[in-house]
Amino acid sequence: MKARLLLIPLSPFALVAPAYAVTYLTVEQAQTLMFEGHVLTRDFRTLTAAQTQAIESDSGVKVTNPQLSAWRDDAGGWFLLDQVIGKHEFINYALALDANGVVRQLEVLDYHESYGGEVHLPAWRRQFVDKHHGSPLQLNGDIKNISGATLSCGHITDGVRRLLATYALVLAAPEH
Amino acid sequence: MLSCSPPPSIERARPLLGTVVAVRVRGAAPRAAARAIDRAFAAMSEIHRLMSFHEHASDISRVNRGAARAPVAVHPHTFRVLAWAARMAQLSQGLFDASIGGTLVEWGLLASPNADALPDPQVSFRDIELRRGSKVFFRRPLWIDLGGIAKGYAVDRAVAALHASGIGSACVNAGGDLRIVGSEAEHVVIRTAEPPAGFLPVLELRTGALASSCGASSSRFHAGEWVSCHVNGRARRALDARTTVSVLAGRCVIADALTKIVLADEARAIPVLRRFRAVAHVHHPAYSGSGWRTVGALQ
Repeated sequence: MKARLLLIPLSPFALVAPAYAVTYLTVEQAQTLMFEGHVLTRDFRTLTAAQTQAIESDSGVKVTNPQLSAWRDDAGGWFLLDQVIGKHEFINYALALDANGVVRQLEVLDYHESYGGEVHLPAWRRQFVDKHHGSPLQLNGDIKNISGATLSCGHITDGVRRLLATYALVLAAPEH
Repeated sequence: MLSCSPPPSIERARPLLGTVVAVRVRGAAPRAAARAIDRAFAAMSEIHRLMSFHEHASDISRVNRGAARAPVAVHPHTFRVLAWAARMAQLSQGLFDASIGGTLVEWGLLASPNADALPDPQVSFRDIELRRGSKVFFRRPLWIDLGGIAKGYAVDRAVAALHASGIGSACVNAGGDLRIVGSEAEHVVIRTAEPPAGFLPVLELRTGALASSCGASSSRFHAGEWVSCHVNGRARRALDARTTVSVLAGRCVIADALTKIVLADEARAIPVLRRFRAVAHVHHPAYSGSGWRTVGALQ
């Protein structure tokens, strides 16, 4: 085992430490991976106030975005895209449900992390892009790993609970 | 046409073991890499299923419910992790102690299991008996929590699954408990409890395991003081919230457990680190200079 600790000076202009970010899969790659050989049809919905309220009371999780990004598979399954924002992280993930609404697979698409609460700011994404390219860090061109205070996956667990309630109350409900 | 560029690295991430786990494979054809990554995730899911404190059917839940009445048989993986926990507890004289489940429930960091008897407040790792045939027996009612070690073991299992799939270069990162396989150097940013002033701490390593812990993780206020999931097993006290410890070792199960021992008592941890040829980088804002110091098996 060979290792050394490097203390890399941060630019005096950096207001925050560089954010860690990684993309695992694009939406298209996730669709191919999770529904190989199937045809997916885009079926985006806008949740009504009544639906939002029903989902919140059923799942106990707040609905922050009424736009539901859903694709229907030719065998009755669903591909759902969702985003969760935690204290230190910002995660896009995809959920594959079978025709009975049972979770078949979950894949994290991308993951962004930063110190402090700046992920809550609307400019957070832009700031990350700026920082990343202008950063003095030139290690393999990218920060691929992070270690430290354990990150919780609780927000994803909550997100899945919210999506399952959305499936039951909106996607699987008979059309009016 | 011959291509000079090696196959790109392929990386996937899933929520597992209470965190986001990423598996990256280098130099393998995409299909082979995808299959190997699936196996690595399956290996970690199995450890999660067996050793979760909360899942009713897990080995740990069954042991916590019944091992004070009669010996409970567990999966060989669970038994191996309990054996590692016992060894770490002995070497650290209880600074690492898997019998802390009751303390974490009392602090509101874990939900109370559905057990007949509440844990005896005086319990320690010495009350856990590991018997032949992968059986566990408690001398007094207690609740085991493997939160301080099972994640590291899961990372080691994922690496074993990748090896079995013929992968020679990879990185498995379970929320900061990670292991690197292959000769390529990886850079790991250490997220400290207190954001670093002026410096970004980065560890450069090849082939080996790294685990980091800081006292502040999942901390909450209980009975007038801050408590966290990292406990000094001997004093049953929460560990310093401003300290961050990163341990480098050969295996992740060792690195994971050692972080808690270093957090609990840096001086007492040194012989344990040396025994495993492990090194700890410790950050505290009050330390002189950069705020970092390095202890253990220094080269």
